[in-house]
Amino acid sequence: MMTTVVLAVMLGGVWLAAAYRENGSRAMLLPDQVMTLFPDPKPLTAFAFTDQENRVFDLSRLKGKWSFLFFGYTHCPDICPMTLAILARAHENIVKSTVGAKDVQFVFISVDPNRDTASKLKQYVTYFDTTFVGVTGDNAQLGNLAGQLGAAYQVAITPGTENYPVYHTAAVFLVDPRARYHAVFAPPLDAEGISKRFKVLRELEGPKAT
Amino acid sequence: MRWRHRVLVGLILALTPIAAAAEEAGVSVRDAWVRETPPGVAMMAGYMVLQNNSSRSQVLVAASSSAFETVTIHRTIVKDGMTGMEHTPQIELLPNASLLFAPGGYHLMLLNPKRTLHAGDRIDIHLKFRGGLVLPVAYEVRK
Repeated sequence: MMTTVVLAVMLGGVWLAAAYRENGSRAMLLPDQVMTLFPDPKPLTAFAFTDQENRVFDLSRLKGKWSFLFFGYTHCPDICPMTLAILARAHENIVKSTVGAKDVQFVFISVDPNRDTASKLKQYVTYFDTTFVGVTGDNAQLGNLAGQLGAAYQVAITPGTENYPVYHTAAVFLVDPRARYHAVFAPPLDAEGISKRFKVLRELEGPKAT
Repeated sequence: MRWRHRVLVGLILALTPIAAAAEEAGVSVRDAWVRETPPGVAMMAGYMVLQNNSSRSQVLVAASSSAFETVTIHRTIVKDGMTGMEHTPQIELLPNASLLFAPGGYHLMLLNPKRTLHAGDRIDIHLKFRGGLVLPVAYEVRK
């Protein structure tokens, strides 16, 4: 089945879903600044992190759910709290939608395991949304998943100081319920932009994604 | 008529100290706020709209507050596709122009608050300009 998928402008959303239903297998999608949707989603391969409850967070935790992934660190005063607040609002919008958010999760991946312990991550992510998941892992594992998603990060640990610079991709990655890298949201992000597109995307994918 | 006038004068006098400082500087600040942080986070960010009302440039060179250990002027930048922060030693405000300190851009980085701050709290930060002028600004903590 051929599905041409690059997503649409916000206005195109409703039209897009309608067009898709009409011809069954093909959707005419327009280039979109906010979300890039991959025509052939790439299955992710094994990785291993630990979540905020010290449980293993691996590939299996991405299966059966749509996962929004964001890389960051808790000692980040500007971009991380801004993004998590936006994602919390996007989550709220998805909860209120007819399909709901039962099969949706938001995962904050700390690239700064040196400072971000499980308990710190728990305090941090649940402040924004009680359902958010916070995970981290060693450098090899972080590099592993970041590499699969085309994300980048750089931590300049400076011995003797609590404050060292961290650089990270500010995009939000969307992994589908078959654990495939499905789409990416580019900054600047906004909650409505994300939730509206996700709604259309889920209608496009329908049950076949799960 | 006369008492009304007096009330008006009284109001103007009451509002004078801050207004006068701002006018003297030629700089005004609006929508000043600090983002509330999750528990245990000792780094906060302050935002505002700086307006230069004068016909000459103004240069913001530092900021300080008794509510934090340090206050620095930062900017969120994108480098090699990655987002990070860099220290900005000074910012020039062009004549009759405004400059936005907003999430994802310029911000005051507020390190180690002396007490836990919650939405609704107000904190004072002093903005220092070249030439010695200091502008006190009240920031509202918002969620």
